[in-house]
Amino acid sequence: MFFDKDIETISVEKLRAIQKEKLGETLKNALKSKYYKNIFKQQGINPEIKKIRDIEKIPFTTKEDLRKSYPAGMVAVPFESLVRMHASSGTTGKSTFIFHTKKDLENWSTLVVRGLYAVGIRKTDVFQNMMSYGLFTGGIGLHYGAEKLGALVVPAGSGNTKKQIELLLDMHTTVIHITPSYLFYLSHVIEDEEKIPLSRFSLRMAVIGAEPHSEETRRKLEKLFKIKVFNCYGLSEMNGPGVAFECEYQNGLHIWEDHYYAEIINPKTGKVLQDGEEGELVLTTLQREGMPIIRYRTRDITKIMKGRCPCGRTHRKIARIKGRTDDMFIVKGVNIFPSQIETVLMQTHEVDKNYRIVIDRKDGLDNLTVEVEVKKGFFDGELSHLTAIQEKLADMMKNTILVKPSIKLVEPGSLPSSTGKSQRVQDKRRV
Amino acid sequence: MGKQLSIFMENKPGKINRITGILQKEEINLKAMTIADSGTFGIVKIMTDNNKKAFNVLKKDNFLVSYQDVVVVEIQDRVGAFHYVAKILEDEKINIEDAYGFIIEADKKAVLILKVAEPKKVETLLKKQGYKLIEDF
Repeated sequence: MFFDKDIETISVEKLRAIQKEKLGETLKNALKSKYYKNIFKQQGINPEIKKIRDIEKIPFTTKEDLRKSYPAGMVAVPFESLVRMHASSGTTGKSTFIFHTKKDLENWSTLVVRGLYAVGIRKTDVFQNMMSYGLFTGGIGLHYGAEKLGALVVPAGSGNTKKQIELLLDMHTTVIHITPSYLFYLSHVIEDEEKIPLSRFSLRMAVIGAEPHSEETRRKLEKLFKIKVFNCYGLSEMNGPGVAFECEYQNGLHIWEDHYYAEIINPKTGKVLQDGEEGELVLTTLQREGMPIIRYRTRDITKIMKGRCPCGRTHRKIARIKGRTDDMFIVKGVNIFPSQIETVLMQTHEVDKNYRIVIDRKDGLDNLTVEVEVKKGFFDGELSHLTAIQEKLADMMKNTILVKPSIKLVEPGSLPSSTGKSQRVQDKRRV
Repeated sequence: MGKQLSIFMENKPGKINRITGILQKEEINLKAMTIADSGTFGIVKIMTDNNKKAFNVLKKDNFLVSYQDVVVVEIQDRVGAFHYVAKILEDEKINIEDAYGFIIEADKKAVLILKVAEPKKVETLLKKQGYKLIEDF
C-alpha cells in the first residue's frame, strides 16, 4: 500500500533522472545564498552538472560550516518567502538554524506521510505525538505529517508521563511517536508504578526515532507493549524526521530519493563508497527552496542496502543507524559504538536498559567502564550473584566489542534516563 | 525465621548516611549493621527493631532492598558464648556464610545473627539445645 504509488515505485532510471534535474536546480538555487556563492567562487565550481556524480567535485558542508554561516548565511530566498525556522538540538555545540518556505514545509509533510502510510498508519488512527514540540523538529515534523494523512493527532509533546497515560487511555490512542528511551520509561511507569494492565490500551504501533538504537531495542519494545515498532530517521538540517522511514518489512529505511541525494563516504578520507559499504551518510537536499544544503555530513554511520525491497518501493534503503561518527570511541585501538554495548544489555535480564560508558586513561592504558543499573526485581541481597552478573556482562561485551570492560553496577534510577536525546558516553581522556 | 535487610549500595561517601537518616526519621532502631563490599559497590546488611517498616520506608525511598532469612539467636554476653554455637554447627557440618552480632544487655545478653544455607534446620538444631530464637524484633 502506497501513499503515492507513482513516485514511490518509480523506475530507477526515472528516479535518477529526477535526481539529476533537481540537483541542477538545487545548485543554481544555492548560488543565491551568501555561503554557497562564496564557496563556489572560491573553489571555481561550475554549478552546471553533466552527470549526477559531478556532485563529488563539490566540497562537503559540515555542521561547522552551518555554525559559521549562523544564523542565515545559507538562506537562498528573500526573507519574506520564509515561513518557519527550526534549530538543531545543539547537543554537540551551539545550535544552528534551518529555514523553510511554505513549499518546503509541504514537501516535508508529504515525505512524512509516505513513511507513516508505509508502516500502516491510516485516517482511522489516533496518533499521540510524544515528541518535543518547538525548535526541535521531532514533534512538529510528524505532527503535520500525521495530520496531512488524516489521523487524529494528539499533540501531547514529551514528558508529564501520567498525563500521557491518561491520554493514551481516554483517547484510545492507537499509534505513538516517541523516543526509544522514553518508551522504556513509559513501560516502567505503566507496569511498575501505575500497575495498569496493557489490555486497557488500544495501542498497536509506535514510531520511534531521534536516538540511534539497536534492533534488539526495537524487539524488546515490541515485546513489552505487544505492538509493532517502526524506525524513522531524520535530522533537522535535512528538515527533520521523515528523511527515511521503514516500511512494513522492518528491514532498512527507504530514503526518499526524489528529495535527497544520498552518498556514503569514508569519514576519514571523504572517499565515496559503494552501496553495501559502511560509512558516514552524506545528504543533499534536492527540492528545498529556502535553504538548500549540499553534501551535508550527517555524522551518522550506516550503509546503503543493496537490492530491491519486497514492498515495491524503488527508493533505496539505508541500514539502521549504527552510531554517530562523534559517538564512536576508540579504546585500545578498537572502534566501539554505544549501540554495541546496548545490544548486550538488551539480552541480559538482570540489569536495566539505562547505561553510561566511561573511558579514562591510567598509566597510559585505556580503561572502559560500563555503568548499568541493577534491576529491582532481581536483587536478592547476595553479593555473589551481583559479581556473577558483572563477570557475565564483561564477557558478553568482550565477545561483541573485543575489549573487556569493567562493569560497574549502580542503583536503579541513578543513571540519566532521558525523555530526549541521551548522553551515554563520557570520555575523560580528553578532559 | 529471623530476617535481615540487605541493601544494594554504591561505594560512595554519604550513602550510609542516607540509610541511617531515614531510619532515624522513621524512629526505627538500628540494632546492627555490616557491609560486604566488592570494590565499586557493596551490600549493607542491617537488623532493626522493625524490619518490616524499615523495608517499606527504604523501598519507598528507592533503595534496592531485599529480605533475607537468617538465624537470629540469643546468647549470653560472656567468654565462649559464640564458640558454643559455632561448635554445634561444626558438629553438624554446617557452614556459616556470614555472622555478626550485637549486645542487648552488657555482660548478660547478646544476639548472634547467622547466615547459613538452611536456616530452618539450624533453628531447630539450636532450639533443641535450649537456645532462644528471635523471629523479628
